[in-house]
Amino acid sequence: MYGDLGNKLVQHAKRTQNLSHLPPYQTELVRAVTREVRDLDKDVADLLEPFQGSFNPANDQATACTLLVNHLSMRRNKRCLLAYHRTRADRLEELVWKGYDVVDLAGQQVRDGQGGFNGPPGMATGNGGTSSLSPQEEDYVRQYSDLLAAYKGQWTDIDLTGSLEPPRDLFIDVRVLKDAGEIQTEYGAITLTKNSQFYVRQGDVERLIAQGYLQKLS
Amino acid sequence: MDIDDILREVDPTFDSIPEDTRDLQALTRAWVAERSSPELLDWPIDGLFERINERIKQQIEKIEEMTGDMDPKTNFALIVIQTELERYKYLVRSYLRARIAKIDKHTLHYLSNPVIRARLSPPELAYATRHQALLHNHYLSSFLSSFPAPLQNLNDTAGNISMIDAPDLDTAVFIRLLGDTRVEGRGTDEDGAMDGKNGDIVILRWSDAKKLVDTGVAEIV
Amino acid sequence: MSYYDIDAILTDAEQKKVPCKFELDVPELGYLDNNPSQPLKAGTSIGLPLWLAEPLALTSRSPNNPEDSSSSFVTLDLPPSLSNEVMSALKADPRAVPLRDQSHNFYGLGTRMLDVFEEAEICAILRRTFVTRAADIALHARKAGATEDMGVGAGEEFLRGLEEWERKLFRKAHEGAKGTKEWMERVKKY
Repeated sequence: MYGDLGNKLVQHAKRTQNLSHLPPYQTELVRAVTREVRDLDKDVADLLEPFQGSFNPANDQATACTLLVNHLSMRRNKRCLLAYHRTRADRLEELVWKGYDVVDLAGQQVRDGQGGFNGPPGMATGNGGTSSLSPQEEDYVRQYSDLLAAYKGQWTDIDLTGSLEPPRDLFIDVRVLKDAGEIQTEYGAITLTKNSQFYVRQGDVERLIAQGYLQKLS
Repeated sequence: MDIDDILREVDPTFDSIPEDTRDLQALTRAWVAERSSPELLDWPIDGLFERINERIKQQIEKIEEMTGDMDPKTNFALIVIQTELERYKYLVRSYLRARIAKIDKHTLHYLSNPVIRARLSPPELAYATRHQALLHNHYLSSFLSSFPAPLQNLNDTAGNISMIDAPDLDTAVFIRLLGDTRVEGRGTDEDGAMDGKNGDIVILRWSDAKKLVDTGVAEIV
Repeated sequence: MSYYDIDAILTDAEQKKVPCKFELDVPELGYLDNNPSQPLKAGTSIGLPLWLAEPLALTSRSPNNPEDSSSSFVTLDLPPSLSNEVMSALKADPRAVPLRDQSHNFYGLGTRMLDVFEEAEICAILRRTFVTRAADIALHARKAGATEDMGVGAGEEFLRGLEEWERKLFRKAHEGAKGTKEWMERVKKY
């Protein structure tokens, strides 16, 4: 019946909430639910057509009931679609805050042919050859990144996207998990090659830890 | 100094405390309150954050000046100042992030009327407005634009559920009384009331605690 | 309740649907009874999801005569998960019933239905059930924290019977216990 497909979308959203990666966008389902709304809207127009704008619900209760069911089904589908997109958008925003290049990651995995990216970002790609994001989502990520950059820019000295753990030590020991090239610190340049260890200022490497290049040793 | 000590220091000695210490107290309090309250609190309008920004800048400059110095004594001072700066920056960051998280969650609610909108700082307001516009656009381009026009709104309150999500003001909070006062709280089965003493810590619904916090006889902990 | 809340939306479409008796013939709605070519007859009882059942029951079909509140399109009945049998079982021992088998969103559905039905007894039973089970959940959550095997063995069996609110409660209680433990250890260290 109407609304069943919408419910499937929401079940996808529920699953997404419990996953560490973002599963592929359900292009077909979204299209089908949207089509359902248009069909329902057409039904409503057809039902009302003979009345020429003078429909009185009290006089024709059966039609009124049908109209109500159609209307509720459209609203239901709308809610399902919105909740599905919102759940995904929330997840994308979270990744932007963490500093990942979301669009690039989603594509990169496709090129590597990996099903499940093993690092923290994890963008699974189901049907090989496409990104797990819809083109609209890619646009959204780009625009949201710009927005965040603009907001961050108002707080140049704070680094809003920095760690939300209360700082304990100024300097920490880190191990390099992936080659990360050379970074500049106030004590000079350090070349981060895989498996090496350094004693560095936490503020200088926070971003690299979040991105999975470095591991903090306690 | 313990955070509790900072927080317990109330008005009588206020003028003898230097402004920068007072600002740190205000920041700490705002931070604790914002993290614990279910809804967005007022952005401080007395220029607190302008002063804080200025001080952070000064400290960063100072650190840059001191870094060139190889004297061990300076080096030790440098570490102390840097540690302090990191903690200060953490307070500001954590405070701002707590606010942004609330704004993101209920954007339309915070934009819905001028009284609530006034709680946001100008950059937050700009961010929220733009964020909402981006989301709306995203929905439109993904599916919403092919909907019949009457169904394209995101702020419908008709039907049995409002599209504008709002924070749950009945969430429980802990407050500390800053003076003797009567505390009244609503419950599921019956309401409760007690004569609270200065320093008492009470748990109750934010909707009941709010008036005590707003009038300054209690603070969120 | 929140518009975008995934659990709330799923509650509205529970598999075990709400029995609705249609009060009038509706030619176009035969499909609701899996019979699109036939009109839906007055008196037909079908299970509908809550999102459809509730507004149908609450909307008056003669809007010009608001006094006549009895004239809605459908009459609701309580869903199976709130049936007498389930209530008796809960009365006997709230902990013995795997609520999840009744409904993934048992309490969510319950609160929604009690908005429509005046059922003081069901209300009392649900509350007692929640409180009794919550204590049990807190206990399990602490234990899971102590042995570090959350989600394995006995823990998993216990979790399986919990509905969504209870699972959330379990996670919170577990995180709380873990957080306290970590904090205490840090305090000792410094």
